[in-house]
Amino acid sequence: MERDKSLSGERKYSNDEITVYWKPEACVHASYCYRELIDVFDPSRRPWVDMKGASTEKIIEVVNLCPTEALAWKWNNEEKNKSIGDDQTNHIKFRRPELIGNNVPEVKQHPVSVKVMPNGPLVIKGNFTLNYSGNKKEVTESIVSICRCGASDHLPFCDGQHRKIGFIG
Amino acid sequence: MEEKKENNNETIIEVIDFGPLRITGNFILKDLKRDTETSSDEIWLCRCGKSNNKPFCDESHKK
Repeated sequence: MERDKSLSGERKYSNDEITVYWKPEACVHASYCYRELIDVFDPSRRPWVDMKGASTEKIIEVVNLCPTEALAWKWNNEEKNKSIGDDQTNHIKFRRPELIGNNVPEVKQHPVSVKVMPNGPLVIKGNFTLNYSGNKKEVTESIVSICRCGASDHLPFCDGQHRKIGFIG
Repeated sequence: MEEKKENNNETIIEVIDFGPLRITGNFILKDLKRDTETSSDEIWLCRCGKSNNKPFCDESHKK
């Protein structure tokens, strides 16, 4: 199954009701998860997700905030997964196949969304051209995260350093 | 083949070496810290962390 392929290399965390999936390479450190729910999502802890830290309802709410597809969730009871509403944005059934290979997404015209994350990076989403260090990258219906603190080891991209240096801004 | 070239509405994000991020074209800037929303044709955003006018560049990186 194609979906299983897109789930390779990811981690799972479960409580009695739901399973949360985390795909590290898709994370752009937008930081919604730990800002909203540090008791569950704590990057300084290993494992960094503690499903006992909050109610299932709250965990779902915060996973749905993740602007990338790094975090996704599903009910453990498969019957309940059949009636998922569109508002459950990060339910696993809405996760797109990898944007690689011959899987070219449809290009839509809408303004690019540039979000300034509190004490964190710029999260840029949509269709745009990114020029950096002599590279030209066409970004299509996707997302990049640009460092604002100046401390990233992967400039111009965010690598989560803003947390370690206590960046305010 | 269909004509695929975009019009001038293309959004370009340019990382200036040792400088700010320049964004031009069709975009909306939402600042979740200061709760503001900006749309303009061109902005320059701080990448060094030192600006006194965040999220915008104030050339503090040159100091």
